[in-house]
Amino acid sequence: MFEKFPRLFLFYENSLNSSATSSRTPSQSTTTITDSSLQSSDTQGSYDGIFEDHPGLNPSSERIVELQSDIREKLEELLINKSPDAAMVAAEALHGESDNIPFMEFILNDLNTNGVESESYKDALAALVKMVPSPLEQFEIIPFFPMKIGDLYFSFTNPSLFMLLTLSLVLLLLYFVTKKGGGNSVPNAWQSLVELIYDFVLNLVNEQISGLSGNVKQKFFPCILVTFTFSLFRNPQGMIPYSFTVTSHFLITLGLSFSIFIGITIVGFQRNGLHFLSFLLPAGVPLPLAPFLVLLELIPHCFRALSSGIRLFANMMAGHSSVKILSGSAWTMLCMNDLFYFIGDLGPLFIVLALTGPELGVAISQAHVSTISICIYLNDAINLHQSDSFL
Amino acid sequence: MLESAKLIGAGAATIASAGAAVGIGNVFSSLIHSVARNPSLAKQSFGYAILGFALTEAIALFAPMMAFLILFVF
Repeated sequence: MFEKFPRLFLFYENSLNSSATSSRTPSQSTTTITDSSLQSSDTQGSYDGIFEDHPGLNPSSERIVELQSDIREKLEELLINKSPDAAMVAAEALHGESDNIPFMEFILNDLNTNGVESESYKDALAALVKMVPSPLEQFEIIPFFPMKIGDLYFSFTNPSLFMLLTLSLVLLLLYFVTKKGGGNSVPNAWQSLVELIYDFVLNLVNEQISGLSGNVKQKFFPCILVTFTFSLFRNPQGMIPYSFTVTSHFLITLGLSFSIFIGITIVGFQRNGLHFLSFLLPAGVPLPLAPFLVLLELIPHCFRALSSGIRLFANMMAGHSSVKILSGSAWTMLCMNDLFYFIGDLGPLFIVLALTGPELGVAISQAHVSTISICIYLNDAINLHQSDSFL
Repeated sequence: MLESAKLIGAGAATIASAGAAVGIGNVFSSLIHSVARNPSLAKQSFGYAILGFALTEAIALFAPMMAFLILFVF
């Protein structure tokens, strides 16, 4: 408790020996201390009571809120080159969750009278220094155009912006490549990129889904191609500095994997009818074992919906966070103004550079892996247990 | 108290990397084995190995993800 509200402790100490010589800015601070300790003795009787809540004696919660906002505003004034958010954090670190009015009045007085010299201000600065910038900050969702329809939240946020941006770029690429009814017979670089992606997914579908004639297989091809291009362009797009990784949000990947899972289950029922339920029971199993085996097959089957979402999300989030942490350490070392650190800084810097390559690789291979697993699930749903591929 | 418990938890979460290391090592040692036995299948097995590597790597990344979540979210 005390380590969270250091000022509380300090105030207690100071008010005990308020008449004694205090080391810091003598005249003003002693008056404020005696002032506030007078108030506290008025309301609570003894100094020990400062640490206790007295809702009966101090029912004025409005006063507390008022004091909190006063402290915050004062800090905003004092912390010139910091954002209001930082002032808010500092103010919260100062007064904590305290509802002790004399204590908060003391902080406010201290800030008002001593300004930048005050102990409270120094504590606030220390709290800000201690506040490590989280590497998860980059995944923050910021609404650009707040919009609310009823209770639903329809804001245009930065994920929507980057989704729209990537989507329009990919569509533009496809449009320009296939402009004159299918492009040139000798493709240029852009056209061969698109053809490469198309061929790749086509081969994937043809290899992984078996037991169907070519025409039927091609029914699934557009869906899989779209899923593949979605992750193929979304994942590396997050590697651009100051952009936003759409697929690093669990909600988005989970929405994708769940809808695909539901679609695959529908396809399974459509092709096999109720016979699809035999998917849950491998052939030739003795009857007493059947209940357990059904459970054992059902759980992994349902877990597929979660796992492909989690896999994509975890890869994107963990990779981007580690790059962020390492580049943060490189930046801190660079700013230390020390020749030793300046030379040593090359280490983290090269690790960041070296990590960027695998990150791009992971981004692309995750698109590949998720597409392959979709094909495998689709194959399972269509063929049940007849043709076991390598997974 | 909570801070130190967080640090211990995040550190403990990274133990899981040991399993991922075993898995990745296993994937590539199997690749070398199979290519040594049948070099003509090198290309095909390399594709499978990369797929297996990506799947293992994905599981491996759960560990740092848990560590980050413990450290920075809660």
